[in-house]
Amino acid sequence: MSAARYDAIVVGAGAGGGVTAAILAEAGKRVLLLERGQDLTFTAIGRDHLRNQRLSQYGNNAGPDLDGHPRVAVDADGRERLVRPHEGGYQNNAAIVGGGTRVYGAQAWRFLPDDFRMATVYGVPTGSSLADWPLDYAELASHYERAEWELGVAGDGAASADLLPRERDYPMPPLPPTAQSRVLRRGADALGWATTPVPLLINSEPRDGRAACIRCQHCVGFACPVEAKNGTHNTLIPRALATGNCDLVTGATAARVATDRVGRAIGVDYFDRDETPQEVRAEVVILAAGAVETARLLLNSATTREPTGLGNGGDQVGRHLQGHAYTGVNARFAEPIYDGLGPGVSIATLRFNHGNDGIIGGGMLADEFILLPIIFQKRYLPPNLPRWGAVNKAFMREAYRYVTDVKGPTQEIPHPDGRVTLDPTVRDRWGLPVARFSGATHPETVRTATFLQDRAREWLDAAGAIQTWSTPPRPRLAAGQHQAGTCRMGDDPRTSVVDRWCRVHGHDNLFIADGSPHVTNGGVNPVLTILALAYRTAEGILRAW
Amino acid sequence: MSSFTATQEATLRAVVDRIIPPDDHPGGWEAGVGNYLTRQFAGDLAPLFGDYANFLAAIDAIARRLHGAPFAALPTATQDALLVQIESDAHGDDLARFFAVLVTHAMEGYYGDPGNGGNRDAVAWRMIGFEVRG
Repeated sequence: MSAARYDAIVVGAGAGGGVTAAILAEAGKRVLLLERGQDLTFTAIGRDHLRNQRLSQYGNNAGPDLDGHPRVAVDADGRERLVRPHEGGYQNNAAIVGGGTRVYGAQAWRFLPDDFRMATVYGVPTGSSLADWPLDYAELASHYERAEWELGVAGDGAASADLLPRERDYPMPPLPPTAQSRVLRRGADALGWATTPVPLLINSEPRDGRAACIRCQHCVGFACPVEAKNGTHNTLIPRALATGNCDLVTGATAARVATDRVGRAIGVDYFDRDETPQEVRAEVVILAAGAVETARLLLNSATTREPTGLGNGGDQVGRHLQGHAYTGVNARFAEPIYDGLGPGVSIATLRFNHGNDGIIGGGMLADEFILLPIIFQKRYLPPNLPRWGAVNKAFMREAYRYVTDVKGPTQEIPHPDGRVTLDPTVRDRWGLPVARFSGATHPETVRTATFLQDRAREWLDAAGAIQTWSTPPRPRLAAGQHQAGTCRMGDDPRTSVVDRWCRVHGHDNLFIADGSPHVTNGGVNPVLTILALAYRTAEGILRAW
Repeated sequence: MSSFTATQEATLRAVVDRIIPPDDHPGGWEAGVGNYLTRQFAGDLAPLFGDYANFLAAIDAIARRLHGAPFAALPTATQDALLVQIESDAHGDDLARFFAVLVTHAMEGYYGDPGNGGNRDAVAWRMIGFEVRG
């Protein structure tokens, strides 16, 4: 029996994979889109407050399954820990059609121009691998715009136009402000800080045959009940399928990229939902499995010609792993700041992303999503509050509608020892070596995070907080939903894995379309950059075809 | 699943009601924390059932030794004082650690979604003002 043949195989139906599949299929290419997760319904994803992408106390709502997919986390003292998908240290992202976009908070930030030239702006801190991207903001701007319009972003482009120049405003106006954002606006105004409504991949008005946001309380971490949250599962992937040129296969776990005798990618070997090995062949292979699994796949695809993994001649695959150090401050107000209007996150400042005296980079600060009550109990209690009893209960009752936090993603300073490797002994259910994490973030990340935490407190104080509390930032490995950097983009194969078109060095038909190529990961949520880069990569593939 | 003895169950009920005491709003047991735990012992928390039984027996024994009565029969102020002692390690690391675990489980039952078996009729959510609309 000969293997099935396609023009292109895309591994991973998340943000980047969804875009790539659609653009290639619409250009007439026969595309196979492989997804290890399922295409779950809203009901199947559910609203379990203990098993979701925001709090995975006992499980996940969007994959992967808890059994058969372990990883290994190595802490700063070299201790190894076997972790399951819902446990801390696993660095999970959703495994489902749409990937993270199915259950995300949908913040739709562009990276700022200086995010693409961190080394030029700040120099290279000792021990770090801080570097410029081989492309700049202007080169990505039209692709950002395409993502904003084709998926659908609600926002106010004018509010950030000085920092994020744009040709065209967002396709939809922002959602109306919440009580929380009005209070924070007051604080920012008092400080003279510019703010912007948070741009969201959420319909603020009916669009594209789908409803407007109903302002429900289960946004981040859950699926949208009215499909007002725009992911690839309800935009690009349906477009790909509508062409008739794309086959979506779920429950399909890629095992390796198959290569021929001269090292050229010829297809993908995968296990189907019945755990039967399958081989498919194609002219082009695009990996979009996320920064952890894409790196693992390249490493697991080693050949006699490339014994340390595909594209790994420079020993770069899996290095520079980064996400975001999240830091913030919790605050209690004298007035209720909760009005129950989801998604919750509404106001942000980009004032501290760059230009902070003596600090490398920075990050965006924003208000909070609506907090699930159990998350509030687990993570938002002031330090001296009793953990049980009448006083604890009274605090829950009296404070829930009066407490919020300001926080944001600190731009991480990458270094080569924050990494994904293959564990030498632990195997997954198919017998493949699993991802092993080691290294904490660079000390400069912690210094930047500490600076941002002080700014968050300043903002909350100015807004009238009567009490604030926080825990100091610590060095840790943060990958998870914002995972990036493991197949860094660059012109030199000795210091990077893919070129400026996200093509794996030395493999002219093997591409990457997720966060892996990000040289740095910005000080904002990375999904719009993953989407924009995927548009650019797909267009580049077609041009060269 | 095994089940608790009547004494262990009475102790659990008393402890849960000190973690989340009844006031103008239901206490932990009335709101279904026990039901949440029963369901969890048949699933995610099954491996901890034996630890629960041991913990409940241990604090009941301490109550009898120090106060001459079962934990569940003590005045609530005495129960609170004993749990504060346990929390602060006065009766050993193991009991302190397990009490912290029990607190987190009780909170999950009370403030989690009713679909998990606790927070009956969303009483905890109504108390704090978390409303599900849409």
